[in-house]
Amino acid sequence: MTAFSTTLNETRKGLIIMWDYKFSMLMELLGIFMIFVGITFFVGQGDITQEQIASTVLGFFITFYAMSTISTMSWALMNEAQTGTLEQMYMSPTSTQLIILGRSLASLVAATIQIVLVGAVILLLFRVSLAMSIHTIPVMLITLFGLLGVGYLIGGLTLIFKQVGPIANMMQNLLLIVNGTFLPVSMMPAWMGFIVQFVPSTLGIILLRRVVLEGATVSILIQDGSLLWLTAHSVAFFVGGWFIYAFCERIARQQGTLGQY
Amino acid sequence: MAIQLQPAINIANISKVYKSRNGDTVKAVNNLNLTIQSGQVFGFLGANGAGKTTTIKMMCGLVKPNSGQVTLNGFDVDKEHRQAMSQIGAVLEGTRNIYWRLSALENVLYFGRLKGVSNNILKERAELLLTELDLWERRDDKIRTFSRGMQQKVAIACALISDPPIVLLDEPTLGLDVKAAITVKNWIANLAQQRNKTIVLTTHHLDMAQELCDQIAIMNKGHLLTNQPKAELLDLFRNNFYEIKVVGNLNGTASAITTALTSTHEGEYTVFTGAIDTQDDLFSILDNIREAGHALVSVKQTEPNLEQIFIDYMDNTEVSP
Repeated sequence: MTAFSTTLNETRKGLIIMWDYKFSMLMELLGIFMIFVGITFFVGQGDITQEQIASTVLGFFITFYAMSTISTMSWALMNEAQTGTLEQMYMSPTSTQLIILGRSLASLVAATIQIVLVGAVILLLFRVSLAMSIHTIPVMLITLFGLLGVGYLIGGLTLIFKQVGPIANMMQNLLLIVNGTFLPVSMMPAWMGFIVQFVPSTLGIILLRRVVLEGATVSILIQDGSLLWLTAHSVAFFVGGWFIYAFCERIARQQGTLGQY
Repeated sequence: MAIQLQPAINIANISKVYKSRNGDTVKAVNNLNLTIQSGQVFGFLGANGAGKTTTIKMMCGLVKPNSGQVTLNGFDVDKEHRQAMSQIGAVLEGTRNIYWRLSALENVLYFGRLKGVSNNILKERAELLLTELDLWERRDDKIRTFSRGMQQKVAIACALISDPPIVLLDEPTLGLDVKAAITVKNWIANLAQQRNKTIVLTTHHLDMAQELCDQIAIMNKGHLLTNQPKAELLDLFRNNFYEIKVVGNLNGTASAITTALTSTHEGEYTVFTGAIDTQDDLFSILDNIREAGHALVSVKQTEPNLEQIFIDYMDNTEVSP
């Protein structure tokens, strides 16, 4: 089975299940919208400007992808262990890491649908327009590639430690606070700004804002080395996550806990 | 020169030790050796904790043995995982195995694609399976709306969608009502007889195992107590099985007469059944009945059944810890 057909299979299943939870999803989107507006209002000290909305919404896009990937690889994987479908997945001749990759990509597709819905409401409501160009595509793709690695990392930990929900929750909240979604890295103290660059999604948000809000092109990002730096980050996260997942999977098989919860 | 046929499943010297968080170890499977021939219906019996499920999971590659090797149609589960997995379909004990938020057809198609079934034949095969399992009419209904028996049938359809030569069924009738259990049992018989699948079946329903299986293995505490063709196993006990009927209800005092036999009450009579190895043992039991003052109604040799054999093995075979 190819990576494409695996992804297609997982995406199809993911969307059917998502549609079955449509009411919950709608409520979740409403919650996300309210959190977004609330935090933006709070960070803006009671004022919401169009510039602020534009900057925050871009950060929120990437953070939402990150949160979605973490959810898929923690709660969703745990749920699959409980229902026995995880063991069925492991009994398939298709590489499990390929299936996990397919699931992560499927979750990104589902997240894109949610982002488009929430994003459209926010942009229309606050009359904000974003100059999305073709230059956003490589930035987004490279950022998402790194986030998949984060998903592998969480997935691996889930296979061994099982109840990683609180850790996943903490990671999601931490991302929201430190990756520059609401408080741009440029406004952080220098030491903190340096550290948060190593947090997954931070560099992606910085570069996405440069492209959309400042009109930077891919060639500019290549010339100043920032795209290369983002690529190095993403590759490191992906490769690291991939190996950690494989290691955890081996341990879970040895412990006989793959399907336990 | 005789041609040596490759077994469908070969288990060579596998052991599995689980470690708990406080450092204690449990030997779930102890140096197990099994060969299951192609086309055989293999009954894997044992009490809870005997090591059956661990063994099944080692066959599926879900649990890695501490030592030994499992091959499926010649493919090493550990080293040739992909090829080995294409040989099996499995329904595991106590889990759903399928997605409750998908319909029956969506589940079967999903697992078919996951197992690499080509799109050209997938839909045709899904229709055939769901029709045979009497589920085609409800193919578009979500699994969560199905009865437990129907859910189990969908799980079986998903396990079979890739038409694997080996089917592992771990307690396939667990939690099913009588009607659903009969449907699943008939389907297993159909798989063996019509499709020549190799089936490994674990079950606590020994009447089902007796009806379906060609070969029987009994495990206890990780050890293999016996592994024989069903007919030979029954033959082994054929001359040893007795039914002794006495007058009176021996409720609570039957064990004073013998602990080797199972006692049941039939109205004003008590019936002892089970294996008696020697004539001396038989006369010793009869002496005990006479001494207890109960009138003997009849003593006859009976056809053994798997349940009695199973109890005999569990009661009379010592295993080292």
